[in-house]
Amino acid sequence: MRQARAQRGRVALPVALGLATTLCAVGLAFLIARVLATLLGFAGGGWEDLGIAALLVLAMAGLGMAQEAAQNRAGEAARAKLRTALFARLMELGPDDKRGVGEKAALLVDRVEALDGFFARWLPAVALAILAPATIILVAAWADWVTALVLLVMGLLVPVGMAVTGIGAARESRRQMDVLGRLSGRFVDRLRGLSTLVQFNRAEDEARHLGQVAEEFRTRTMRVLRVAFLSTTVLELLAAGSIAYLAWRHGAHLGANHPDPVAAIFCILLVPAFFQPLRTFSQAYHEAMSARGAAADLAPLLEAPPAEGLLLESMPPRVTVAFTEVALRYEGNPRPALDRLTFAVSPGETLLLVGPSGSGKSSVLKLLMGFARPSSGRIALNGQDATRLKPAELRRLSAYVGQRAHLFQGTLRENIALARPDASAAEITRAAEAARVMSFARRLPQGLDTEVGEGGYGLSGGQRQRVALARAFLRDAPLILLDEPTTALDPGTEAEVMEAIARLCAGRTAIIATHSPQLRGLSARVLELGAGRMAVSHVE
Amino acid sequence: MWSDLFRVARLWRSRWPALVAGLAIAMVSALSGIALMTLAGKGVAAGVTGGGLIGIAALLWLRPFVLIRPATRWWERMASHDAAFRALADTRVWFFRRLAERRPGGIGMGGSGDLLGRLIADVDALDRFYLGAVVPAAGALAAVLAIAILLGAEPWLLVLMALPLLLALVLPLALAPAAARAATEAAARRGEMRAAAVDPLAGLEDTLAANAEPAAARRLAQADAAMMRAQRRLVGRGAMAGALGQTLTQLALLGGLAWGLWAGEAGAALAVLALFLGIAALEMLGLMPRAGAALATAGAGARRLFETTDTPPPVAEPTAPAAMPEGRDLRFEGVRFGWRAGMPPVLDGLDLTLRPAERLAILGPSGAGKSSIAALLMKFAAPQGGRITLGGADIATLAAPELRARIAYLAQDARLFDDSIANNLRIAAPGAPDAALWRALAKAGVGEFVRGLPEGLDTFCGEGGARFSGGEARRIALARALLPPADILILDEPTAGLDAEAARSFLVTLGTACEGRSLLLLTHELTGVEPLDRVLRLAGGRLLPAAG
Repeated sequence: MRQARAQRGRVALPVALGLATTLCAVGLAFLIARVLATLLGFAGGGWEDLGIAALLVLAMAGLGMAQEAAQNRAGEAARAKLRTALFARLMELGPDDKRGVGEKAALLVDRVEALDGFFARWLPAVALAILAPATIILVAAWADWVTALVLLVMGLLVPVGMAVTGIGAARESRRQMDVLGRLSGRFVDRLRGLSTLVQFNRAEDEARHLGQVAEEFRTRTMRVLRVAFLSTTVLELLAAGSIAYLAWRHGAHLGANHPDPVAAIFCILLVPAFFQPLRTFSQAYHEAMSARGAAADLAPLLEAPPAEGLLLESMPPRVTVAFTEVALRYEGNPRPALDRLTFAVSPGETLLLVGPSGSGKSSVLKLLMGFARPSSGRIALNGQDATRLKPAELRRLSAYVGQRAHLFQGTLRENIALARPDASAAEITRAAEAARVMSFARRLPQGLDTEVGEGGYGLSGGQRQRVALARAFLRDAPLILLDEPTTALDPGTEAEVMEAIARLCAGRTAIIATHSPQLRGLSARVLELGAGRMAVSHVE
Repeated sequence: MWSDLFRVARLWRSRWPALVAGLAIAMVSALSGIALMTLAGKGVAAGVTGGGLIGIAALLWLRPFVLIRPATRWWERMASHDAAFRALADTRVWFFRRLAERRPGGIGMGGSGDLLGRLIADVDALDRFYLGAVVPAAGALAAVLAIAILLGAEPWLLVLMALPLLLALVLPLALAPAAARAATEAAARRGEMRAAAVDPLAGLEDTLAANAEPAAARRLAQADAAMMRAQRRLVGRGAMAGALGQTLTQLALLGGLAWGLWAGEAGAALAVLALFLGIAALEMLGLMPRAGAALATAGAGARRLFETTDTPPPVAEPTAPAAMPEGRDLRFEGVRFGWRAGMPPVLDGLDLTLRPAERLAILGPSGAGKSSIAALLMKFAAPQGGRITLGGADIATLAAPELRARIAYLAQDARLFDDSIANNLRIAAPGAPDAALWRALAKAGVGEFVRGLPEGLDTFCGEGGARFSGGEARRIALARALLPPADILILDEPTAGLDAEAARSFLVTLGTACEGRSLLLLTHELTGVEPLDRVLRLAGGRLLPAAG
């Protein structure tokens, strides 16, 4: 809610417009009271009052529209700022953050959208809920002090009723957001594996289960609403009570030579205008409560200090990698992923990491990519401690191909250019050629300009892998990190890609995690990892 | 828009009693509000004209209504929201079922991020249809009718008051189509924004590895700005509708007064009543034109939901499925198949016979169409030519669930769900005892590993098996495929991600894993240890005997 303070300036305009609307409403009430007094046979106003009233009605319409537009702007600015900050933070946390994609998307999209009401409606409503009724009480005091007193008491009762009902709502809302997150996470998860569910004939069971989650969602939401609606009811009760009391008071006196009939009617007519900003406040109040639930999820992410670290002074043309007694432990896993690993790779050298799955091959690459930090030991790049660099800076040194290459929405060309956005078309084609992307892209309807969807629909795993390799070629970085680069390739393609990899690694520092015996054909040093420890290191 | 909304209403048929009850309560609540203001008006008027008893009675009756009106409002809100949420839960489940039916092979273009956006945002937008439009309209209709009856004695007063109110009531219908366009636009932009957020997150490692965070952030900011521009237009329309509603109801109130001025002293009492009714209408009808925006948002959401779910299923279920054949012979006869029109077919005149208990491998490079053979068998897709038979029966005539129950399939992209290992395994065999799970895990060579986990079978796998290494996750998925008692086992690259030694030790045990089932092994390479009866090579869309 720290964002709220920064928003104060933007809220001034909607509040001013809202206050102007209230003043119009007061004027309208006064004019109507004058006309009504005339109707009742007292000295009052006539057709000209009615005409001015009609003009006021039109003015209020204009003011209302302007206020809404101004509020929306305030909400937009706040959401855009939050979303940008949150996205940057999620990127900074990287793969270390164990939240699933669905959950992260829910944070980034739904939670931030849920905050819109807070900035667009709640903040102006708070100011107006104090300023507008206060103005009306002052006007009422001028007309009839008893009415002013009644309104004052009612006005003070409103926050009491809201506080009583609001506390419960806040507690409930927080739990409800968890369920919403779970529902959304579960849905993406199950949808991604829809075909797995279908093949085992379990889609129906899952649908039923999804129904149960939705049912839980309903129960929880109703629990929040039961309390939330009560506070609206309190407000309505107070409004109805005020009208009834004032109607009784002035109705009983009007006939008996009321001293000031216009003032009496005016007082009754002020009641709806008095409660209108409070009603808006009450509606926005629950928006603020649900926003608070969302904010509680976002705050720990947004308030964490940004990642620190040094920037690269210049791009070194060559990199020497040295691990000294490096250990890596993942939280909740008793077995270390890496245990006191020591090795060094010089420029021009290729190191093959081999070993059974789970022996920590990928972990070595993750450390060098800044996706994880060593629990102990030292990783040096050209003699400098690598952990002192900002992770993003560390990554600038390397071209990395992971086990599961992702294709982004866009063309094949865009997907390759990702590695170096300023690359020329010829460079991209050359990289695609080198990674043997062209051998299948040529057969696609639009070649490199073929659209590939999220998750790389339409391309096989091996084809995806080759696109990722093309990125590495284009990137032209001094350090090459490959994680099982040929695992999804058939032997023919693998041989071709192997040769490409050999060219990619030539003159650079390369570390390749692999199972494939074929890759051993590379002129490379082999480091065998076993259960997180280096076993043998020998040159072939 | 209307046809989509009517379809939504039909979708909710089983919830109609609750939904209609919500409407009835809304009407009761509106009428109690009218009663409250009528009594207050009569009280004031009676006080003025010295109406004695009537005035006193009105003021006495006023007191209970001060409580009844807020109480019925609360009841209305609870009942209508509860009914709406029930209907929404049904819609979610319906949507999931439809997708399972229409996209059995998984989601393609369009992206799961966008689909998630559809389910959550569009389904949630549907509640505006009921809560934001239908319920207030029911209350407003009751109020307008009550006002018309109360003031019906004076035709001119009726015209001046009831006409603007009626206009406010029907205005949403006129405003909805334009708002619907704005809402469609806003919803589409929101989907794009979500896709722009999900894409770099789904490919997080690749985004980071390319230092593409700034580019991704820029793309998200652009999508965000586009969404907000669309939302601004929608909000603008809503604000205009709101202003119109306020103006119309206030004009009705002023109209009542004008009638009073015209009628003179004789109409005083009725004019006071009209004023109080006008105040009541202000609350009930003032917000009605905004219902147009609610209708529009709901209509746009419904359109997108139906667009996703109305694509025909890739393989039509036979209307009268043939009985499952006893035989286990599997035959492909001249099968031709391509994933997309305009692209060369992947399979072209493919013939294949798999005899009971035979162990057959199909060798071929990635992209050669090995997975297509499995997709056709699972009825995720239908061949464009030729036929596939099981035990002599064309599988096109068989019910897909029964067919799938006969085949255990380890897909290349078999997914582990964010659930416990045990629950992931039981997807293949609901209710299987722990012992069976352990046996399957042991067969897949991952028993020791799972036993070593502190929480054993209850360990959570993470989204897509993210908690485990690629090899471990693959073997758990393998164990799942080995679990059901199917006749035919299809393994698509079962050892991808496993190191050579682990792959070899698994493949050696393949014979026992099959336990007399027919095996179709789809792979790009053989290690030579597989206990196979026959090896075929897939090239140019046909199968050839493997050389050597």
